[in-house]
Amino acid sequence: MRKLINILLLTALIVAISSCDVLDTEPQTSLDPQTALVDAASAQAVLLGAYSRMQIGSYYGIEYTLNNDLLADNARYQGFFDSQLELDSGNVPISNFWVGNVWVSIYRVINIANQLIDAVPGIQDDAFTTKDRTLGEAHAIRAMAYFDLLRVFGEHYNTNSNFGMPLLLEPIENNDFNLIPNLPRSSVSDTYNQIVEDLNTALQLMGPGYVDNTRMSYWSTLALRARVNLYRQNYAAAYDDADEVINSGPATLEDDLDNVYLTTDTSSESLFDLVFSDQDQSSYFTFAYQRDEYNVDPSLTEAFEDGDDRRNYLEFVRGSNRPVKWNNPNNANNAKILRLAEMYFIRSEAAVYREAVPTPALGTDDLNVIRNRAGLGDIGPLVTEEEYVDALLQERRIELNYEGHRFYDLVRYDRVGDVLGREDFRKIMPIPRDELLASENLVQNPNYPLP
Amino acid sequence: MNIKRYIQKLTFVFLGICLMASATYAQQTITGQVTDVNNEPLVGATVIVSGTERGTSTDADGEFTLQASPDETLIIRFVGYQTQQILVGDQTEFNITLRVDDQLLDDVVVIGYGVQQRSDLTGSIASVSGDQIRNQPVASIDGALQGRASGVFVSTPSGTPGAGITMNIRGQTSISGSSQPLYVIDGVPIISEDLSGLFSGGQATNSLADLNPNDIESIEILKDASATAIYGSRGANGVVLISTKRGVAGQSSIGFSAYTGFQQVTNKVDMHSSREFLELMNDAALQDNRDLGTNYSSTHVSDIWGFDPTDPNLQNTNWYDEIFRTSPISNYELNASGGNENTRYFSSLSYFDQEGTQLGTGFERISGRLNLDTKVNDWLDFGTNITLNRTLQDRVINDNSLFGVVINALAGDPLMPVFEEDGSYADPFNYFGWWMLDNPVLIAEEYQRFTNTTRGIGTIFGVANISDEFSFRSSLNIDYTSLEDEAYTPIISRESQNARRNGFGNFGTTQDFTWLIENYLSYANTFGDRHSVNGLVGTSFQQSNRDFSSINAQGFPSDQFIKLSVASQVTSASTSGTSWGLASYYFRGNYVYDNRYLFTVTGRADGSSRFGENFRYGFFPSGSFAWRMTNESFMQNQTIFSELKPRISYGITGNQEGIGNFASRGLFGVSDYRATPTLIPTQLSNANLTWESTKQLDIGVDVGLFGDRINMSADYFIKNTEDLLLNRLIPGTSGFSSVTDNIGRVENKGFEFDVRGVVLTNSNFSWTSSFNISFIQNEVKELEVNNQVLSDSHILAEGHPIGTFYLIDHEGVDPQTGNIRWIDENGDGVIDSGDRRIVGNAQPDFFGGFSNSLTYKGFDLNVLFQFTYGNDIFNHSRASYENLGWSRIGIPGIFPLPDGNNHSLANERWMQPGDQTDIPRASLTNINWREYSTRWLEDGSYLRLKTLTLGYNFSPEFTQRLGMRTLRIYTQGQNLLTFTNYTGLDPEVNQNARNPLLAGDDFGTLPQSRTISFGINLEF
Repeated sequence: MRKLINILLLTALIVAISSCDVLDTEPQTSLDPQTALVDAASAQAVLLGAYSRMQIGSYYGIEYTLNNDLLADNARYQGFFDSQLELDSGNVPISNFWVGNVWVSIYRVINIANQLIDAVPGIQDDAFTTKDRTLGEAHAIRAMAYFDLLRVFGEHYNTNSNFGMPLLLEPIENNDFNLIPNLPRSSVSDTYNQIVEDLNTALQLMGPGYVDNTRMSYWSTLALRARVNLYRQNYAAAYDDADEVINSGPATLEDDLDNVYLTTDTSSESLFDLVFSDQDQSSYFTFAYQRDEYNVDPSLTEAFEDGDDRRNYLEFVRGSNRPVKWNNPNNANNAKILRLAEMYFIRSEAAVYREAVPTPALGTDDLNVIRNRAGLGDIGPLVTEEEYVDALLQERRIELNYEGHRFYDLVRYDRVGDVLGREDFRKIMPIPRDELLASENLVQNPNYPLP
Repeated sequence: MNIKRYIQKLTFVFLGICLMASATYAQQTITGQVTDVNNEPLVGATVIVSGTERGTSTDADGEFTLQASPDETLIIRFVGYQTQQILVGDQTEFNITLRVDDQLLDDVVVIGYGVQQRSDLTGSIASVSGDQIRNQPVASIDGALQGRASGVFVSTPSGTPGAGITMNIRGQTSISGSSQPLYVIDGVPIISEDLSGLFSGGQATNSLADLNPNDIESIEILKDASATAIYGSRGANGVVLISTKRGVAGQSSIGFSAYTGFQQVTNKVDMHSSREFLELMNDAALQDNRDLGTNYSSTHVSDIWGFDPTDPNLQNTNWYDEIFRTSPISNYELNASGGNENTRYFSSLSYFDQEGTQLGTGFERISGRLNLDTKVNDWLDFGTNITLNRTLQDRVINDNSLFGVVINALAGDPLMPVFEEDGSYADPFNYFGWWMLDNPVLIAEEYQRFTNTTRGIGTIFGVANISDEFSFRSSLNIDYTSLEDEAYTPIISRESQNARRNGFGNFGTTQDFTWLIENYLSYANTFGDRHSVNGLVGTSFQQSNRDFSSINAQGFPSDQFIKLSVASQVTSASTSGTSWGLASYYFRGNYVYDNRYLFTVTGRADGSSRFGENFRYGFFPSGSFAWRMTNESFMQNQTIFSELKPRISYGITGNQEGIGNFASRGLFGVSDYRATPTLIPTQLSNANLTWESTKQLDIGVDVGLFGDRINMSADYFIKNTEDLLLNRLIPGTSGFSSVTDNIGRVENKGFEFDVRGVVLTNSNFSWTSSFNISFIQNEVKELEVNNQVLSDSHILAEGHPIGTFYLIDHEGVDPQTGNIRWIDENGDGVIDSGDRRIVGNAQPDFFGGFSNSLTYKGFDLNVLFQFTYGNDIFNHSRASYENLGWSRIGIPGIFPLPDGNNHSLANERWMQPGDQTDIPRASLTNINWREYSTRWLEDGSYLRLKTLTLGYNFSPEFTQRLGMRTLRIYTQGQNLLTFTNYTGLDPEVNQNARNPLLAGDDFGTLPQSRTISFGINLEF
């Protein structure tokens, strides 16, 4: 009997000490959503989290920027990845990896912004002195994200089109995947309206005193609105915004382009740099310089005029020209998302087109500002609209190559057929295969196949 | 000093061991005869008095004479037969009958939480004895199981020493979770996943290689639900029970064994010489003239490159010869076992040392074990198992990695030397192959990558025999692993130079501490002479805590250093941790009626920390029935069947492996921006997340014929796995592409058949044979979203198996133009990834093994063939070494730069109109080259001579003169012959060893080794 009691006691003890907490395990490097966004500090952390997500590879970590040049005639694929091969060829299937990834990546940023826009007004924290600014920044980030989506997947060049973006403006309830709304696509004009509304709200909440060129502050938001207005062909507004950034903003053109590119800091002409560092690396150097997915297309090399300083940012290495706009081997150069040079181009273009009849002469000076900075003389008098557009596209191509503009410029001026020899519907990317499978209300872009 | 003492002494000095003189007892002369079941005398059987040096062997009549005292035990051994032990007692004359040693005859089988007579089993369990796999030149036990048991598909995805091995028991049950079985060593479910954080390509490290295969007494593979359901949420993929050796009372022995041998890769791809390379390039230009209207000269490429193909002094590097080598493998082991009635022990110490067949790889292990059993008093037994191991793995990057060794050698330019004249490594960018990103010899020799593991598994257990019917077993177990990863990428490497990092290093650690407490109460009783009942109930609590750290640094003063303290800049450092827990309650009941009807029920309730609040606990029941027809009265008058036992079982088991520890939660993780920490949502929540559950029906029969001379087992099973832990595609507007959810269904059904038997036996000669074959069909039955393209080459689709290939297809080569006729699947006039279609899969139609064991006097010969039929392999490597001149990066007219060299199969390419071949014409363009196409899809069937062992056991007369009890020498070959149509390095390789969804992909993977070894075992 004694041994039985001993055994039972021992058993009871063992079961008691072991059973209570084996199932209570907690993650050590993550937080539950209930505790993640509750006060000033966590709101700041979540806001900066939006920038962390912009840094990922499919978005501004590299691909959003460089794939644009690959789609256009600036870069050519000589590497390994089929995804890049497909983009370079222009025949982008609905299963293209980047197309599938970038959709989700940008919407992740939108969801972070949605969480902030939803939660920040209700946060009770006396230390939260930057509440308006935080909220404004979230609106600006959401606007940029929707605009970036629209340029890839929507008919951004046609404000009468129904092929805009699905607009999700609320956080996912309870963070529960079962409660994701099944959204249809909004029209292009509704998408633009939402973007501009967010930008207006952001500007109002932040005010011109908020200057920080490493995040979406007042001036970068205004610059973005200039770009958006240009794309939607609201030239008067685009002119005013660009003009205000140039005349009243904190940025000034650098005399020496080395200060723009060959640095891991922001430059004086930065309006918005997404900051990378040794510890927080991009992939620009790796892909643009070390690998062969984004080698320089010979037609870009040939497009440079003699004596152009900007030609120095191409370097012939291992059988091909490569861009050296990111020279830091630790991938610590920033992504230049908005810089002042682009504002001169926008003001030029808007000045020409805000007139009842396009007037090339009104846009020539701003083009020359950028030319002169690169050591080139003034451009000859531009008479016809065609001359102007040729010059504008040439100047934008040379100045902004490998910065994610060329393909959209060709689309905006309907030259995808002439320059790239592509069918018209390939001006935008297909809605990704997985999205069509997962969201029954989504409509594929014209002429692209269904899964 | 006589010669015998002298040798004995020398041997013991060599081993550093003292042998205690044996105690003496009053001895008497005993005699006896050893026969087989048919009463035929067995000649040459050894009869040894346990614990002494006394022994003899039987004469031509099977008879023997010996001195022994009544308290001593006789051990009678004969190769091919079961060893018998007999207490001498008062007897002086013995008639000893040895039964054929056949696996299916083994009396006792280890099952989950207990043992059972094989004849009483109602489930499907395969057994492999330790002897069968002993001393095989492999690093881990799982590798030795290949071809040994039906329903068990073992695949060695690469020849990397110490690398992971894939084992699927009755098919792949899971898609995103793990399909690997649960490994249980002496009752302790162990950690068997890859704990290393070091990148090395597609191959995992193998934590089972932390164990010494020679410590194993037996392995049981639990296959059907009746056998595995007692492991509940971890039973769905089958369970491998490993029992280590224990001491036997009165049988003290000291054993020493050693083998040493050499290894080579099983195959090398035959590549073109420099001359052939240049000629092919020139041909490519001429073919383009014909087809594309270019106007190149007949020596277009060789002229541009500045070579004359006919120059006899051309540099001619064979890159495979440069990276592969003949390398040694050896193992030394010392063990001691024995004991008395109260205490028994088994202890071993071993050292295993393997250099890889590829430069820069190797694996070393030192392992020690002590298994101790003690009888404390009349009701309490106590025991402990302790093993401590240290492994050192010397690794390189391989598989589909930019700086893998094999992948860079694939199309290696033969015009490029390994070293320049000044002794420095040649740089591929100075030569004519675009494919090679760095000199593979440099990568193999100068990159440093080590994974060092220290692992201890300790168990202490007590068994209280409360009464004749009840006993209670309690155990505490610890499985502790401390692993260090260290890597250094040298300054001279392209990888470091391109990134201008001046050498970079990484140091990481993983510590896993898993504890387990198990208690169960067993009961056994018989009622009357017809009812026999036994069963158990128990609890188990397990928790695992794992911590990681990692530091990266760069900027080294020279390649002589690899420690991070000399680096000028730390680029990142992090620590992290995770944990999981499992609380379980289980039972089993067996009821046998009249030795004819056998019933088993089992069940386990598991609670897991990994699952959502709503479904944290699961219950896994099973039931089975078997009918021993030979015990029926109507079977008593026949002599054909010695066993005829139909069986049926059904049950539900689970799988919780392979998903994150916190997959059910919505989480915010930490990142940073501008050196400030940030919070970002990292996953959406799913409170309903729970196990994958597998319902398995098994119908089988065990048959023994002619006094168990032949034994057969046949099983049909159907396994339906539901609630698969899969990534559910969700609208990307949520910012996530998927969540882990229970969706989808996979079915595995099949037929497996085992037969073993004695082909021939007489006094001098015996031949036993066994054969197993399994036909398993895997099919994805249901997915949330059908036709998920998983990669450039694989798809997941309903109605097709896991590992289905999705590639651009072609219809051979046009005999008129020599160009491939691609199939424009979507009819859009362009050949691109939109034209892929389902073209095959990596699942074999059937697989199995055929083993023969022959003995003649002291000689024994074991031959194991192993085969796989009907699986496809995507020979991705061929896309580089069959580029046929495509100048990927160069400009054909100005400076052609192809991927590199071609294999000699390219000689069969199309050369002129009318040629009938499946290899297209050469071209400087990519007209005939699509990376993800069926051009590289091949049949992966093979038949392999897996092991061949020839051994000789010296006679007891001889060994006694040396003072030894047994002495055996042998030679063994591993992977000696492979019959296959596969043109790549080895049909068994897989670059995606970590991901079964992408199975059957060969891309820069190190092939398996052919090993020839020589060994000696001796026992005192």
